[in-house]
Amino acid sequence: MTIGSAGRVVPLDPDRSLVRAAQADPARFDPLYRKYLAQVYNFAHHELGDHHEAEDVTERTFMLALGALPRFRESAPDDAPPEASTFRVWLFRIARNVIANHRRALRRRPTAPLQAAAGVAGPEDVEGRAVARADASAAWAAVRRLPGDRRRAVVLRFVDEMSTAEIAGVLERSEGAVRVLLHRALRSVARELSAAEADDGSRAGDVRRDAGRDRDSR
Amino acid sequence: MIVYPASLDAIEVDALQTDRYLDALLSAVDRRAYDVPADPAVDPTLRLAARRLRDELVRTHPSFRFEERLARRLADAAARMRLAAATGGEAEAAIVPFPTPLLADPSLAAELANPELALLLGARYAAVASGDAARGPSLAATAAASALAGGTPSPFRPVVARPLLVGGALTSAALSLVGAAFVAWRLTRGAPADPMAATTAVDAALGQRRLA
Repeated sequence: MTIGSAGRVVPLDPDRSLVRAAQADPARFDPLYRKYLAQVYNFAHHELGDHHEAEDVTERTFMLALGALPRFRESAPDDAPPEASTFRVWLFRIARNVIANHRRALRRRPTAPLQAAAGVAGPEDVEGRAVARADASAAWAAVRRLPGDRRRAVVLRFVDEMSTAEIAGVLERSEGAVRVLLHRALRSVARELSAAEADDGSRAGDVRRDAGRDRDSR
Repeated sequence: MIVYPASLDAIEVDALQTDRYLDALLSAVDRRAYDVPADPAVDPTLRLAARRLRDELVRTHPSFRFEERLARRLADAAARMRLAAATGGEAEAAIVPFPTPLLADPSLAAELANPELALLLGARYAAVASGDAARGPSLAATAAASALAGGTPSPFRPVVARPLLVGGALTSAALSLVGAAFVAWRLTRGAPADPMAATTAVDAALGQRRLA
């Protein structure tokens, strides 16, 4: 911790020593890479919904980050929270932009993931099963239907466990705006989940009624 | 009871309450607690949705093979950056092409056609955009210009086109060796030191041959 110019307590970037080491010697980028690989990959995977595209985006994000690391400075706009200037936020902002570029490229030449063509995942395909499970989850489906920044805020909050201030840094919005985004996103998800449960309940009731009718007819 | 500033709208107060609940809920995992004490200010349906998102949004890890392949690629790029930095400062040099120029991947180059990303990666784009020519051309501006011109953008070259500098270092060393060898050869031959005298001698010899 340190005291900022406005007398505010400013938390230090927990990666500061690793970042300085990597800036002095690019060969020491590896610890940063290992630390954030899964987080960046998860963000990309939840954003794009495809394992191969997520790997592609993850690779580009880290290559760009390594190339630009000498120019990284812990500095954020005056109105931004101090957490907005950390290496993690900077890395996720790169990832966010790479994903946006990737989406634009996909719109120009649309493709479908191979899993879609292959249909059901094989028994040894753990990853495929995980994706299928995620797709089947009502909560996940509700998140996927959220508009852009609401969805990103939810993924960063729940999957990457970022604070509101960090998300504000990644999305380049104020903390208040991110709080409202998250609140509205949760309301949408809650509405969808209630509707899905009501739907499931009525479907279960139909099944029970059908079963009773079968018994009666027998 | 928490008193919120009067300047906040109702939605902002609700959002603040939800945010506090989320902070507590997500940190409850560290304490191995499933939930946090019910906050009556937070809508129960929101709390349920938050718990489901925490439990159902899966976290995946890329394959080990991918992780190691990318680690190797990053290590290669880092090695090239170190080499480039070590030989930096040799401005006049011959170009020695490397098998894979540092970060000259066309897909990476295409990323930097995005000015927002370019700005994030280096502030020099903004300097060029605002006409501050003294600060030099930016990698992103170069990439964008190249992309606009229809060529293959190569944004990293202007900034990290260090292979050229490595070539410079090698060339200097090679020239020094060749120079030393040439001087030694000339000394053993005992050739005229003055090139003008040598030219005159050759001219005179040719003139005598023509007369004969």
